[in-house]
Amino acid sequence: MPQENAIEFKGTKKGIYVQIKPLNDYAIIKQLLIEKLEKTKSFFSGAKILDIQCDTLTPEEKEELENLMASRYQMQIHKEVIIQDNTPVIDEIYQGINEGITKFIQGTVRSGQRINYEGNVVIIGDVNPGAEIIAYGNIVVMGSFRGIAHAGSNGNTRACVVAYYLDPTQLRIADKIARCPDGDYEKPKGPELARIRDNIVYIEPYLVKR
Amino acid sequence: MAQVIVITSGKGGVGKTTTTANLGTGLAQLGHKVVVVDADIGLRNLDVVMGLENRIVYDVVDVVEGVCRLKQALIKDKRYEGLFLLPAAQTRDKNAVTPEQMQSLTNDLKEMFDFVLIDCPAGIEQGFRNAIAGADKAIVVTTPEISAVRDADRIIGLLEAAELTDPVLIINRIRIEMVKKGDMMNIEDMIDILAIDLIGVVPDDEAIVISTNKGEPVVTDNNSLAGQAYRNITRRLTGEDVPFINMESDAGLMAKLKKIFSFGK
Repeated sequence: MPQENAIEFKGTKKGIYVQIKPLNDYAIIKQLLIEKLEKTKSFFSGAKILDIQCDTLTPEEKEELENLMASRYQMQIHKEVIIQDNTPVIDEIYQGINEGITKFIQGTVRSGQRINYEGNVVIIGDVNPGAEIIAYGNIVVMGSFRGIAHAGSNGNTRACVVAYYLDPTQLRIADKIARCPDGDYEKPKGPELARIRDNIVYIEPYLVKR
Repeated sequence: MAQVIVITSGKGGVGKTTTTANLGTGLAQLGHKVVVVDADIGLRNLDVVMGLENRIVYDVVDVVEGVCRLKQALIKDKRYEGLFLLPAAQTRDKNAVTPEQMQSLTNDLKEMFDFVLIDCPAGIEQGFRNAIAGADKAIVVTTPEISAVRDADRIIGLLEAAELTDPVLIINRIRIEMVKKGDMMNIEDMIDILAIDLIGVVPDDEAIVISTNKGEPVVTDNNSLAGQAYRNITRRLTGEDVPFINMESDAGLMAKLKKIFSFGK
């Protein structure tokens, strides 16, 4: 497959970062990594890996790749966590609701794809059933949203989910979970916004009625 | 330059093999040199649907393993001069072939034919990766069922990840009268979700079952609506601009008749 640069190794003084381009499927990423390491087996043997950098991988998937590199290719995994002694921002909830770091994704997010980001996420396109968007901040979809959304995923109860057509399979904000009713239900007629009010997820139109 | 087209769907039983057989036969009818490749190693079907099962000596695994030459494994169709089948092995599994081997195989076939059609197995594992490895273009087949559309969506995502962008869609086994009653997903809803170009809609047709069992692709049957639909898709594949069959008018007539009858009651 013609994806030469999907995985890159960036060397620093302390060790190597593995950078993986997002939007690839995990199975493909894993295969590409194996292919890449097979070619350069002896070179990377014993190398210090600091971290795998990829937005779309889950922690479990990263761990599996790390274990693979450690066992099959004799690479050393050095997590960066211990480097700083008193890290001030560790468990603090992401507060960037009115402003903050934002990821923009252009195109359709399809079934089986997952976007995981430590900030706000804006999708310029649709999110289809079976896709997951997980963000520390707000989720804004400039299209139809039919997948699973988790806004404020690290506990920010002020986060919201907005879409031109908000018809999610499941909607989570912080620790609250809502799903669409079983059977037939009224489909949205216009753009809507979901947020927590009085400990419940509320969905309402956000444009003033004409 | 030859086109390598993979026919895929994710979900099983939506009509990938039937579509491959019909498009291959349809293209051969138009005078093109076509090879259909069965990539479903271990569960081969394409040979049966085309009625060529009893002629198989060598298969795709024999070719990649160097047991025989490529030309020895190609089976000539019984009806059309320019149509050939490269069958899958039945006694092996998907891991018998690698994506790189498939890529070099399709490159060899490209030099011999105008169209290389690859029948992809169901699923997203090794078999799927083999089937798409050498393809330049993809056709996604789905039926108007929510599960098939979901799987098609997943497949389109995987195709895009493999840099096979702009796949085209075939909606198979649609029943217009059910769509009209609201009992079946309609075409617009499916296109709205999948967001890719439609290349054809094939109606549910008894003639398909009959022709499949006989080993004669329905595209050769001039009286069948499904055959007509496949002929149109074939022409669209060659770059012709063919209008979609109006299935609505037939259903409309039926509905009118039903209305008259119901008034009589």
